[in-house]
Amino acid sequence: MIRFLTKRIAQAATVLLLVSVIVFVLLHMLPGGPARAILGVQATPEAIAHFNHQQGYDRSLPQQYVMYLGRLLSGDLGESYKLNQTVASLLGERLPKTALLAGLALTLAALLAVPLGILQAVRRGKAADYLLTGAAFLAYATPVFFLGLVLILVFSQQLQLLPAEAPQADTLGGILTDLPALVLPVVTAALGIIAAFSRYTRSAVLDNLSEEYVRTARAKGQSNARIMARHVLRNALIPLATLLGLHLPTLFSGTLVVESMFNYPGMGLLFWNAAQGSDFPVLLGVTLVAGVATVLGSLLTDIAYAVLDPRIRSVT
Amino acid sequence: MTDKLLTIEDLHVDITGRRGRTIHALDGVDLDLAPGEALGIVGESGCGKTMTALSVLRLLPNGGKVTGGRILFDGTDLATTPETALRDIRGNTIGMVFQDPLTSLNPTLTIGAQVAEPLLLHTELTKTEAWAKAEETLRLVGMPRPTERMRNYPHQLSGGMRQRVAIAMALVCEPRLLIADEPTTALDVTTQHQILELIDELRERLGMAMILVTHDLGVIARRVDRVAVMYGGRIAERAPVRPLFATPRHRYTQALFAALPERTTDGARTLLTIPGLPPSLATRPVGCRFAPRCGFATEICRTAEPEPTCDSGTGHAVACFHPGGPEAGAAASVDVIDVAVGGTETTETTATTEAAEVRPRPEQPAPAAPPERTEETLLRLVGVTKSYPLHGGPFVRRRTAASQVSAVAGISLTVRRGETFGIVGESGCGKSTLGRMVVGLEAPTSGTIRFADRDITTLTKRELRAHRREVQLMFQDSYAAMDPRMRVGAILREPLAIQRIGDSAEQRRRIAGLLDDVGLPRGSVNRYPHEFSGGQRQRLGLARALALAPSLVVADEPVSALDVSVQAQILNLMRDLQREKGLSYLFISHDLAVVRHLADSVGVMYLGKLVETGPAERVFARPLHPYTRGLLDTVNAPDPDATPAGTPLAGETPSAAAPPSGCRFRTRCPSATELCATTEPPPAEPETPGHRVACHFPLSGGAVGGR
Repeated sequence: MIRFLTKRIAQAATVLLLVSVIVFVLLHMLPGGPARAILGVQATPEAIAHFNHQQGYDRSLPQQYVMYLGRLLSGDLGESYKLNQTVASLLGERLPKTALLAGLALTLAALLAVPLGILQAVRRGKAADYLLTGAAFLAYATPVFFLGLVLILVFSQQLQLLPAEAPQADTLGGILTDLPALVLPVVTAALGIIAAFSRYTRSAVLDNLSEEYVRTARAKGQSNARIMARHVLRNALIPLATLLGLHLPTLFSGTLVVESMFNYPGMGLLFWNAAQGSDFPVLLGVTLVAGVATVLGSLLTDIAYAVLDPRIRSVT
Repeated sequence: MTDKLLTIEDLHVDITGRRGRTIHALDGVDLDLAPGEALGIVGESGCGKTMTALSVLRLLPNGGKVTGGRILFDGTDLATTPETALRDIRGNTIGMVFQDPLTSLNPTLTIGAQVAEPLLLHTELTKTEAWAKAEETLRLVGMPRPTERMRNYPHQLSGGMRQRVAIAMALVCEPRLLIADEPTTALDVTTQHQILELIDELRERLGMAMILVTHDLGVIARRVDRVAVMYGGRIAERAPVRPLFATPRHRYTQALFAALPERTTDGARTLLTIPGLPPSLATRPVGCRFAPRCGFATEICRTAEPEPTCDSGTGHAVACFHPGGPEAGAAASVDVIDVAVGGTETTETTATTEAAEVRPRPEQPAPAAPPERTEETLLRLVGVTKSYPLHGGPFVRRRTAASQVSAVAGISLTVRRGETFGIVGESGCGKSTLGRMVVGLEAPTSGTIRFADRDITTLTKRELRAHRREVQLMFQDSYAAMDPRMRVGAILREPLAIQRIGDSAEQRRRIAGLLDDVGLPRGSVNRYPHEFSGGQRQRLGLARALALAPSLVVADEPVSALDVSVQAQILNLMRDLQREKGLSYLFISHDLAVVRHLADSVGVMYLGKLVETGPAERVFARPLHPYTRGLLDTVNAPDPDATPAGTPLAGETPSAAAPPSGCRFRTRCPSATELCATTEPPPAEPETPGHRVACHFPLSGGAVGGR
């Protein structure tokens, strides 16, 4: 288990290094170089040369990369062109908020999708299965922005039950005190995931129900409910763990739409605004974070796998 | 009927598939079982034997339902009792063991948790007490180091050990009845023997009754008191085991016995087969279910259903209008089949094809034509080895001997043109790897493979492609080896197209010829593999292997998945084609009886090594290696009175990743000494030339008795 973990973490570190290389290359592919981007089209060649020298952009690429990596490791991601703030401090402010939104959405999705999937599997071919299958496809096929609009229209405009704007507080604690305002963004982000996860749960549970170990459990006199809880669920959760880890990065891009729609001050909104204003250091900073999230997601998947499946534990 | 533990009366079970098609899987089954008695249920696949076993505990598959009859167990009708009451019986007073120990255990729960589960359900024991009892039961089923095993997961155990766990699970509550559904079919011969012995011994000790379901007549011969033979969802014959094996009376039972390769050890003789296929149970057949395949069928057999008539003195019940008399005995069984073979050899196809499409084979080969065997060497292997790295991936730096699996470790053998060379051995001995190397699908790690005087390990890609024409592979599961979305015509044309042989008219002509050769209708070209039965698919597999007119066919367990009667058809076909076309076979199998029947020469493999080779009759009659001898002693002969000549093999095959030093067999060998641990025995020919053995202490003669 320890060997397995060290191996996986070493692999993850390697991938992260590659991510940093890619982001570095992207930085150098900015139109006209970073100097042009910052100083504008009107800048004189002298001003640009001065800027490049000041920033170290006139050295060789490997040297520059080492400098960049050094800055990265000390937490220096550069400065925003527009917001007069370091990228690191911007991310430090926004990342926890996005993580909160994504985490809540994911938790809600898992809590609802697994029981719904089991229900569909057990009632396979019955009305409940068809109904939930239909609902899942509808939710899955609806674009997030449209879903958000509908929810706002119904629950905020018509019924006046929930606010249409997400909590604007600066701290996480502040956000959490304004729970009603969190409901619509979280539900909007979660619905698609619920749809996908419940489908996967359904098929994983169905696969496992036809396994012979289930028949063995029945032959022991075990009841159906306990067969589900004790035998089937853990086996069915193994493929879901993969899905969860792979969903982490998509969740980040999903929150981009949700955040800009509900004006939630997270990383997605930051990215959105930076893209509008060509604020490249911020864009690249967010890209780096997304890369890290992807790598962490698959690392978490591997760990979850090893915890759930004893076969993986001993093989690797 | 109060003295009976279990009485099944007129049991009907229907299975409704997902498309609403209903199969009448059981159609009026009557059985009974006294306390402590052992009943064997035998029959071929689809006859309803497993359904009978499953319906006792109402564990029928999805869509399965008991539609009539009673299952009285200790005064309770299990067919109608509510599910909750049934749950108190399952795992408590009736225990059940299933076929595949690999899939019937939960991969994510520890052995301890799974064995203790029935105790926690059915007794008042605390968790600690239940675990202690579970551990004790594991010890009872012969599990080494039970304390440690309790915390293991199923994947950490070998197949035989997993089946012991499954048996422990079934026995932990000390049931009064044990139902074992093909408990040893997925296991190797030696493990199979150990498990059957274990069940026998436990049954004696606990005084349990048992229902043993199997397709293997050898398995039940010495294990049960009475036998029920099933056919088409009904009981064909029911009798105490000795009379049944001595004088089977139902024509189906007789045919079943006659098709066993054990009963026809002379390879020159055609095996007796049962023509045709078991009936489809979607519609209730009119008349006797066996009549379409029976050489004795008359008008009454086709119109009326025979009711079982029981001889009250012997308890021998037969549902047949024209049963073989007790006086006629085994001789009658041979007659009946000969009639059938002569009449309708190719009728296996009729079940799924229109009669007009059936073309008879060009002509029946003369049965006495001797095989065209020459002294010309076709294939010669010298010191061939194959090792696989244990761990892969970019992070593995060293490839040391310690991290390798030595699958094949120095094999030398010679196959002559026109002969059948049989390779026998248990799973994991490297026999399939050897076959794949001969075909050229894998390159040996070291050693040379010479085919028709060319070293195929040094061939260029182009030459290797040409070589593949000469050597073809026939698989165990031909269905899995065929693209399910390709029609038979395309499947058979593919090898011709790859090797660019003939234009499309010539290819069509060849394909028609191939289908004639293997006894399939020419119209098959427009059908898909799933439309064929198991035996027909194996015929297709053979046709594909023969498409390029090879001189050597490597057949890897070609009949292991087939029922006895169909197995006989395929073996006969393989032998006939060998004579017609002068083929050589490298015939790989775990089944000693099949190899004995077909092979001219035989090689016995153990853990990557060839321990003994020689002419088949000599190796089987006077084995020199203790392993060969052990294998022969372990085989379950289909004879209730057979007494094993020696001691069956104990223990398990060690891992090929860490093979024992010196002689690889020494850990299980009764006569192993210090020498065996230090020095690898060199091959020698101590008795007759050509009969080689790799053993420091070869057995000095003494024929294998019992058969």
